[in-house]
Amino acid sequence: MDDRVIIRFNHVTKQYDNDLPVLDDVSFEMERGKFYTLLGPSGCGKTTILRLIAGFIEPTKGDIYFHGKRMNNVPANKRQVNTVFQDYALFPHLNVFENVAFGLRIKKIGKEDIERKVKEALRFVNLEGYEQRAIHEMSGGQRQRVAIARAIVNEPDVLLLDEPLSALDLKLRTEMQYELRELQRRLGITFIFVTHDQEEALAMSDEIFVLNKGKIEQRGTPKDIYDEPVNRFVADFIGESNIITGTMIDDFVVEFANQQFACIDRGFAKNERVDIVIRPEDLELTTVERGKLRVRVDSVLFRGVHYELCCYDTYGNEWLVHSTKKADIGEEIGLHFEPEAIHVMKRSGGE
Amino acid sequence: MKFSRLYLTFIFFVLYMPIFYLIYYSFNSGGTMHHFESFTLDWYKEVFADTRLLIIVLHTMIIALLSSSLATIIGVFGAITIYYAKHRWKQTLLTLNNVLIVSPDVIIGASFLILFTIAGIQLGFTSVLLSHIAFSIPIVVLMVLPKLQEMSPTLIDAARDLGANEWNILTKVILPYITPGIFAGFFMALTYSLDDFAVTFFVTGNGFSTLSVEIYSRARQGISLSVNALSTLLFLFTLVLVVVYYVITQRASAKGGQK
Ligand SMILES: Nc1ncnc2c1ncn2[C@@H]1O[C@H](COP(=O)(O)OP(=O)(O)O)[C@@H](O)[C@H]1O
Ligand SMILES: [Mg+2]
Repeated sequence: MDDRVIIRFNHVTKQYDNDLPVLDDVSFEMERGKFYTLLGPSGCGKTTILRLIAGFIEPTKGDIYFHGKRMNNVPANKRQVNTVFQDYALFPHLNVFENVAFGLRIKKIGKEDIERKVKEALRFVNLEGYEQRAIHEMSGGQRQRVAIARAIVNEPDVLLLDEPLSALDLKLRTEMQYELRELQRRLGITFIFVTHDQEEALAMSDEIFVLNKGKIEQRGTPKDIYDEPVNRFVADFIGESNIITGTMIDDFVVEFANQQFACIDRGFAKNERVDIVIRPEDLELTTVERGKLRVRVDSVLFRGVHYELCCYDTYGNEWLVHSTKKADIGEEIGLHFEPEAIHVMKRSGGE
Repeated sequence: MKFSRLYLTFIFFVLYMPIFYLIYYSFNSGGTMHHFESFTLDWYKEVFADTRLLIIVLHTMIIALLSSSLATIIGVFGAITIYYAKHRWKQTLLTLNNVLIVSPDVIIGASFLILFTIAGIQLGFTSVLLSHIAFSIPIVVLMVLPKLQEMSPTLIDAARDLGANEWNILTKVILPYITPGIFAGFFMALTYSLDDFAVTFFVTGNGFSTLSVEIYSRARQGISLSVNALSTLLFLFTLVLVVVYYVITQRASAKGGQK
């Protein structure tokens, strides 16, 4: 077995009572020292995966391995894993120093060592000098850092972060994204980060797991997932895009909106029904004559860096376009795109 | 607004009137409660010279401190048990607890009397102590449980995540968190025990008496203003307890207030 693998889920299912499974036969591996993100809509099972890794709950079926050893029945307090909770879960009756020192005190580490390690952990998260503060005197962003310091001071192999940035305002959130990524590089340990914000996932991760209804829809680098979503759900979730159904006429030829287009995809059956993705930023505004598609502008929004145009073709398909050029509502325009902009996906059932 | 303020003042006046009336005449040298002659501290001297009374005061204190301490310990663990109980059980336990709080003292007193008689426990110190512990436990539970419910369950997860075992979780997280509730419960139990008349009246015997029962029997025997003096002292002591309780809860809420 590859000794870079630190966590392995082997056909893990988690089910409460007789409800539908919260996690359904999930298998994956995670490597040492990487930044992983679990991305998915609320209720898809992200927290459940973290709680399984942390040891707060046990799988109904399947096995969880840690450094190649089966961990199913090892209690949470015996695992080399620490968690940064969504609500931070700081101890309100202890000050900042004692919160961070909590884990070390339980391990009965010497007084001087505790002092040194806590100071160091607080320096890591830029909170030197805040040792004696009470928790209620700290701002949201500072509490966040205390929670991180409290976790990393125990030198875990894996740090679990459950939507740690969701309670912060936008500016602070962007700042913390950089800091977390930087922290992970400096510590060199595995981070498993949970979010439902796709931009955050794309910006921070080495690898993203896209989850839906207790299953992993796709795993890959941010670029893979953005450029090559495997199905409609992933394409839709990972960013604004135009998803329409079409037919694969032949290798490199696809038909949608009643026209045939050259594309770079192949390996589908002849005349197979497929889903087509074209990102709004890959559509270029042009004249009706020069455009590959002819659409009517329905609404225009100014988004700062670009205009967001919502257009309809004659077959009723909606086309979202990001363009630096403006168009008038009701105007007929042409849309141009390169063959590489067309991404063809297998149809997933149900969606 | 002005009317409601006036109304409240009136109500409180009516409520406190008898107490102040009683306190006022405890300084009366005349020996009756309708004509104030001149100021004296004789009645207080009489109270402090009465050794039997001082022993009763001592008994009352011992009963109050012992019963409220023991009730606090039992009540805290009771509250924790209710907190961890499965949903349906939780409701049942809570209801049982509340029934005990609202049921009349007379009924509790009478049933304790029957119980002690059947169990063959001699009426006196033990029976009073046991019954005080018993009626104080539900009060402690009622004061502690809200603190437990206010505590975020992820706090316990967090402690476990940091390596804490069940004992660590209890001593380093749960107990410190609910400390204000524990103190509040203790002081409530203390005042209930000090004040209690009805239950004690039923289960006391063999010469053992507490202050409330003693005041009652003296007041019945005939009017001596030393009863007034004694009541005044008891009132002042209760007032001190209330102030202490107030200060503790204020400090606690100032601490946990900003969340
Ligand atoms: N203790 C529990 N009992 C029953 N259902 C639960 C329990 N915990 C979580 N669930 C269910 O599991 C699903 C996934 O939850 P979770 O992993 O918390 O989702 P999220 O991706 O939002 O973190 C939800 O539908 C939730 O209702
Ligand atoms: Mg969650």
